Amino acid sequence: MLATDATPQLTWDLARDVHQLFEFHFMVNAFRAGTVVAVVAAAIGWFVVLRQQTFAGHTLSVVGFPGAAGAIWLGVSATYGYFAFCIAAALVIALVPRGRGRAFSEESAVIGTIQAFALACGFLFASLYSGFLNGIDSLLFGSFLGITDGQVLTLLVVGAGALAVLIVIGRPLLFASVDADVASARGIPVRVLSVVFLVVLGVAVAEASQITGSLLVFALLVVPAAAAQRITSRPVVGFVGAIGLGLVITWLGLGLSYYADYPVGFWTTTVAFAIFLGAEIASRATRAALAARRPSPTVVGP
Amino acid sequence: MAIVLLAGLLAGCGGGSSSAAGGRLQVVAAENFWGSIVRQLAGNRADVSSIISNPSTDPHDYEPTAQDARTIASSQLVVLNGAGYDGWAQKLVDANPDPHRVVLNVGDIVHVAAGGNPHQWYSPSSVEAFIRAATARLQRLDPGNATYYANQQTRYESTGLRQYRELIASIRAKYSGTPIGASESIVTPLATALGLTMETPETFLDAIAEGNDPTAGDKALADEQVNARKIAVFVYNSQNATPDVKRLLDAAKKVGIPVTTVTETLTPAGATFQAWQSRQLRQLRDALAAAKAAASS
Repeated sequence: MLATDATPQLTWDLARDVHQLFEFHFMVNAFRAGTVVAVVAAAIGWFVVLRQQTFAGHTLSVVGFPGAAGAIWLGVSATYGYFAFCIAAALVIALVPRGRGRAFSEESAVIGTIQAFALACGFLFASLYSGFLNGIDSLLFGSFLGITDGQVLTLLVVGAGALAVLIVIGRPLLFASVDADVASARGIPVRVLSVVFLVVLGVAVAEASQITGSLLVFALLVVPAAAAQRITSRPVVGFVGAIGLGLVITWLGLGLSYYADYPVGFWTTTVAFAIFLGAEIASRATRAALAARRPSPTVVGP
Repeated sequence: MAIVLLAGLLAGCGGGSSSAAGGRLQVVAAENFWGSIVRQLAGNRADVSSIISNPSTDPHDYEPTAQDARTIASSQLVVLNGAGYDGWAQKLVDANPDPHRVVLNVGDIVHVAAGGNPHQWYSPSSVEAFIRAATARLQRLDPGNATYYANQQTRYESTGLRQYRELIASIRAKYSGTPIGASESIVTPLATALGLTMETPETFLDAIAEGNDPTAGDKALADEQVNARKIAVFVYNSQNATPDVKRLLDAAKKVGIPVTTVTETLTPAGATFQAWQSRQLRQLRDALAAAKAAASS
């Protein structure tokens, strides 16, 4: 039996490390929740990067903060606050027409305005809470301690629902994302797909927020997909790769914060950043190598 | 690596290690003021640790670490303040369900819910209720040593807390009814027990304790009480000296109102509960005496 008060030490014995990692129930729950969140966020994030909607994703994550703070103020679980506000905000953003050029900058301005207002509301709710609001930092920057069995189940059910919807709309969504005009001409309901996708994105952001906090959602939502798309241009490989990278980021982040007492938000984001940097360097090196061999550079997966 | 991880995940192994090291009970308190009392009650039969033990840590917005979660998960008795004061501790307990673990929530014992004044370690009657409850929990977890714990309780109440109790009784006898001002609601339970009249508006005290801004009206009233010398002594929490509190403090010093401090947690960190409280009570008694001397001269 391990000494309970001693800080666990990493060893070269992987089986022993993993046993140590799962010695306590809170860590088992953290990994369960983290795994669900990583898969959902990376899968939906892959479409986010493809559709260039990272700014909308960021807005949804910021909106999650007043949701969680408001839920705590009203005395209900922060989980419900995340879901309610993220999904509601997704519907609001869906009302804003998407476009390029001038219309695009108009959209950014509207979304930016929503972001500022959302953060201000979150701060208001936090100060309205009569009593001691613990963990405002964890709402913003994430926490993996204190995840209950019930929360894991909620994350699993909602995440599975979101993935099921994504699987149903996946093919037409891919088509509509790559070329909306052609897809529309072929009779694909581009506008409906866009609304449904934003709602699914709201769900994914609400899930990820509960591990990474509102401000660090991108570590699980955008970075895995962005890194995967730097390594490969093939959709299926990129999609699966993004999920794989999301899992690596989450598992390494949790493991590191268990062994080294820094916040989980810092570790996941740091691992994500390192992976992105590695992918960027690898992709540039590949392109440079190809350019040296042939006059016309093309991006090819390793 | 992924396969090993997944295997561990699916198996959901763990089960915690509630078995005591060498037969001693494993006890953890969220804050060291409760931890100090339990340590003295449990004597040599338990290992008692406290999560918040650094005087510079603010229990209000404490972010627990993985180490704290491990300590709580492997303890048989968890003492937490409750009353909305340390929600993080309850979260850590909930994430590590164990039917054999006993949780002692002080707010529940003394019937203070979230929204009430959580600073019950400043209430002598709540401290007494806590001592009885903690002893009962230790006896339930370790019935073989029930007599030992009963003797420990008697000894702590009669010897350990003697000076603390005598100071409270003597201040109450001599200064009951004296108007005082304070920086936050942590002082209120003590003022009540000492028979002192708290003049500072309750909403002001709560706002400072909860980390909010007091209203302009409350600030003006608190200022007026100091400047017009309506309070004999000003008591403030030196671990939570916000700009508003510092301003009041300076104003009090300027008009010659004696000032005395209390702290949120044990100061210095290694002090016992009773040594810490007794020192603060002596300082308060001296401040009250100085105020009385100034008023009669």
